[in-house]
Amino acid sequence: MKISEKDVEYVAKLAMLEVAEDEKKELAAQLSAIVEYVEKLNELDVSGIEPTPQVVTSIKHAVRDDRVAPRTGSAEAGRTVKLFKVPKVITER
Amino acid sequence: MNLKNITADKLVALYRNRDLSVTEVIQGVYEEIARVDGDIKAFLALCPDRALDDARRMDERIASGETLEPLAGVPVAIKDNMVVRDLPTTCASRILEGYIPPYTATAVERLRGAGAIVVGKVNCDEFGMGSTTENSGFQITRNPHNLDRVPGGSSGGSAASVASGTSLIALGSDTGGSVRTPAAFCGVVGVKPTYGRVSRYGLVAFGSSLDQIGPISKSVREAAQTMEIIAGFDHFDSTSADTAVDEYVRNLDQPINGTKIGIPKEYFLPGLNSEVRAKIEAGMRLYESLGCEMQEISLPHTEYAVATYYLIATAEASSNLARYDGVRYGPRGDANSLQEMYRHTRHNGFGKEVKRRILLGTYALSAGYYDAYYLKALKVRTLMLKDFQKAFEKVDIILTPTSPTVAFKIGEKTGDPLSMYLSDIFTITGSLGGIPVISVPCGKNSENMPVGMQLMGNHFQESLLLRVAHQFEKAGGFTV
Repeated sequence: MKISEKDVEYVAKLAMLEVAEDEKKELAAQLSAIVEYVEKLNELDVSGIEPTPQVVTSIKHAVRDDRVAPRTGSAEAGRTVKLFKVPKVITER
Repeated sequence: MNLKNITADKLVALYRNRDLSVTEVIQGVYEEIARVDGDIKAFLALCPDRALDDARRMDERIASGETLEPLAGVPVAIKDNMVVRDLPTTCASRILEGYIPPYTATAVERLRGAGAIVVGKVNCDEFGMGSTTENSGFQITRNPHNLDRVPGGSSGGSAASVASGTSLIALGSDTGGSVRTPAAFCGVVGVKPTYGRVSRYGLVAFGSSLDQIGPISKSVREAAQTMEIIAGFDHFDSTSADTAVDEYVRNLDQPINGTKIGIPKEYFLPGLNSEVRAKIEAGMRLYESLGCEMQEISLPHTEYAVATYYLIATAEASSNLARYDGVRYGPRGDANSLQEMYRHTRHNGFGKEVKRRILLGTYALSAGYYDAYYLKALKVRTLMLKDFQKAFEKVDIILTPTSPTVAFKIGEKTGDPLSMYLSDIFTITGSLGGIPVISVPCGKNSENMPVGMQLMGNHFQESLLLRVAHQFEKAGGFTV
């Protein structure tokens, strides 16, 4: 499938990215080439095949006792980063 | 002091005999970095004060006759996508410029616990996204064997540092080949452990179903020693495996005759450079002389690996990188509204390749395309896992080239992302399978550039893998 400049704009909006006017054309071409390449997977019949989101080896549910243990606290986190102050979140529609 | 001609075990023996002090070695390492790293550009941050403090403490302990840990006083470099308390961590991205983490990754903590001394943080492709380290937001690292060539990526700084003698062991991380490709291109050893074998606590996430931390070193013994230290369950990482860690070092010299080595025919097609092929074939003959049995096998879905990987990895990356929004870390873009702040921050902070992958991953996950792209890729991944399961019923180890070519020239592939992605073909399959893989040097081509040989094992078969690699090294395979 060809990715149009409009598609690039739409996906960029979903991903909270800005794409400059002059970048759109190049990105549409590059993404089209990649998407056309990955459509190679359509050669395969995967009906009845289970997906593998993660190769599960011997991972168990990580349940542990509810005990207090030393961890990096918010005071230390705040030492190096600006605390989480952001511009106005609620805007008029 | 250049570290090219010494290994960690020999260095520790010199300390033990009081032939060298840790302080003079660490000072010497910084002098060497000042001398060679202006050309190589492996390091993004150095920590001489802290490292020399560690060295002095270690020297005092040696003087008082204490038992030394296996990596006592060994200088190590850490890829800049792993956090080390109070040292900048950028993932080679402008979006994390100025971020100082308040904690240390488990793998680094364990290395330090085994006596290693962190000398600095090393360069990589931004967030691990690349095969050459050209996608760093700060600098391009060069291949120590030829400064016009790439060191491979994304852990290019790790491999270039070890190969240029400015650290003995480096930690890298591997999502689709990011430890193995730079190891192959720089002529050193690189291990991608089984998925879940090494804790990822403190590793900045790229593709969560694929990422693994692994060592880069000049010898297999050092890699085995490092693996023994960093592997094992960590309750801070819910994906770390609760499986016992073998004695990798002690098992290195166990016999390997009779080991069945599979040669997958799909890796020896015309796209494989003929000189690389010749060296790998010489490597196979060496294994035969060591009493191993070679067997042709088939991994029929190999040709779908790149497509599968670039859908899964970018989908996971688009989700993982949503956290870089200017709220918690890094420089914040100017804005009047929250949405604008997110967009400006991300626009200014991310480089081209990262944006491209976020866009591709977002596309693959977006409404209407999820089933056709992302879900389909997860199903093809199942087919690839079955290929490996079937192969490991017949053979113990799978042998292939690490990369179809030697290191290419800087700038050669940057304009064509798809051709860059295709260069990862041989390393990607092992990543999708979650199996342990090692890349070892296998001679040099006519231009004196290193060739890398890849050995893959079944899940948690690191011990066998390291042993088979070590005996190749011992028999002269690295210069075959």
